[in-house]
Amino acid sequence: MILRAAAFALALLATGASPALAWDPYDEASGSPEPPVSAPPADPAPFIAPPPGLYYVTDTYVADVVTVSGPLTTYTTTTIHESTGSYARVLDEVGTGTLSTFDGAAFNGRATLTDGRAVAGTYYENYLLTNDGFVPVSVVFFQDDAELARQRANTPAPGASSAGPAPVAAPAATGPLPTGTCCGGKGPGEGAEREPRDVDPPQLPIRPGVSLAPASVPLTRIEVLRGRVVSIWLHAFAGDREVAVRAWSLASGDGGEAVSTSGGGATPFRTSWARLAPPGSAYELVFRLEVDTPETGHRLVDAHIAVSVRSPALQD
Amino acid sequence: MNAVRDDHASAAVTTVVLLPLLLTVLAGVLQLGALRVAAARVRAAADLATLVAVNDQDDAELSRTGSLRLAGDASDVAREYFERELELSEALLAASSSEIAAMADIAAYPSAPSVDARTGARYQRPAVRLAADVPVRTPVFGALAFHPVTTIGVLAVSSPR
Repeated sequence: MILRAAAFALALLATGASPALAWDPYDEASGSPEPPVSAPPADPAPFIAPPPGLYYVTDTYVADVVTVSGPLTTYTTTTIHESTGSYARVLDEVGTGTLSTFDGAAFNGRATLTDGRAVAGTYYENYLLTNDGFVPVSVVFFQDDAELARQRANTPAPGASSAGPAPVAAPAATGPLPTGTCCGGKGPGEGAEREPRDVDPPQLPIRPGVSLAPASVPLTRIEVLRGRVVSIWLHAFAGDREVAVRAWSLASGDGGEAVSTSGGGATPFRTSWARLAPPGSAYELVFRLEVDTPETGHRLVDAHIAVSVRSPALQD
Repeated sequence: MNAVRDDHASAAVTTVVLLPLLLTVLAGVLQLGALRVAAARVRAAADLATLVAVNDQDDAELSRTGSLRLAGDASDVAREYFERELELSEALLAASSSEIAAMADIAAYPSAPSVDARTGARYQRPAVRLAADVPVRTPVFGALAFHPVTTIGVLAVSSPR
């Protein structure tokens, strides 16, 4: 019986065996062949890194525009909201009268104020994506400046008589240029104040404000008790008057037990904090406000407020 | 055999003589323990009252300046909660909780910095301070030729941190 069982087991092993095809890397004497070497996979298409700061263009340059409204002369750039499949990046942001290494490189030039100083704005470089990667095709200057006639009068223009008011010089690029290569989409880290617009309103500076009442003084820092519900109202000011906030959203910061992290201008940000900030610090909240009025155009501004959450404690 | 009988007799005499003393010591220890319990309750009542009082802030001041300022009724809130907490221990007290709370010296310092006129302490944040003398019954001490009422002084300060 034992012999028959052993024979059956041996037969089972023999029929079920398969070659292991193992390769002994140290067995040089036996001359065993090297393991089959599979052909290396073909290299994928080389990755072409885009230039830093590149973004897809959604607004295309149309023309440089100079608007004279009373004593205020505004230098802006009009765009059209369309995508031509190109990309762009910011080369340089220049202030009024500031020289740039890209002066003269832009196909639309850079206008000057009546006192001879170059206008402020931003240089963009346009790119097309080809099989060889991102190829730069052109440089465009988006002007963004303004001047007052009073300043012009006080500042004698070169070659002009100081007795009379300086004439309003025609800008270098007042006529509508043909729609060139695109540019002007808002890049990821750009300030909202630099966003090109579809219309050409004067670039009034937008000042955000945060308050704890619908009509109250703007605050930059508040102290609230833990668990206390507060309503934070978002405001925007153009010059010395308030403009309507179209919408807001909490861009960053710990909003606590917020009812909603976005809303319309008439809706406050309601929240409470159940936890204290780390010792010596406060919750830094950043709200992104969307303003879209005829006098300001469509703009995005950030409002900041620091929130210190306090909790009752016994003193020694 | 006679010596054993003598020992029994002396033990009984010793017990009779020392028993009052032992009972007196035991009663004193129990009274002292009860006094400590009462003191702990009074202290907790004062702490809680001040904590509740600073757990409210002035909404108008918050809207106007963004800073934390205590509500205007902070002192009243502290007094009310002090009385409520003492009611739970009224059996230990030698006066009513309302009388004790009414006699308590409660001061609110709505904004900081401020200086406590009673203690001289300087508060860097809004604070509520409660100081009270709470009479507690100690009948055993009274039976032992001490005061039947022991006064516990309590001081509690709370502020938002």
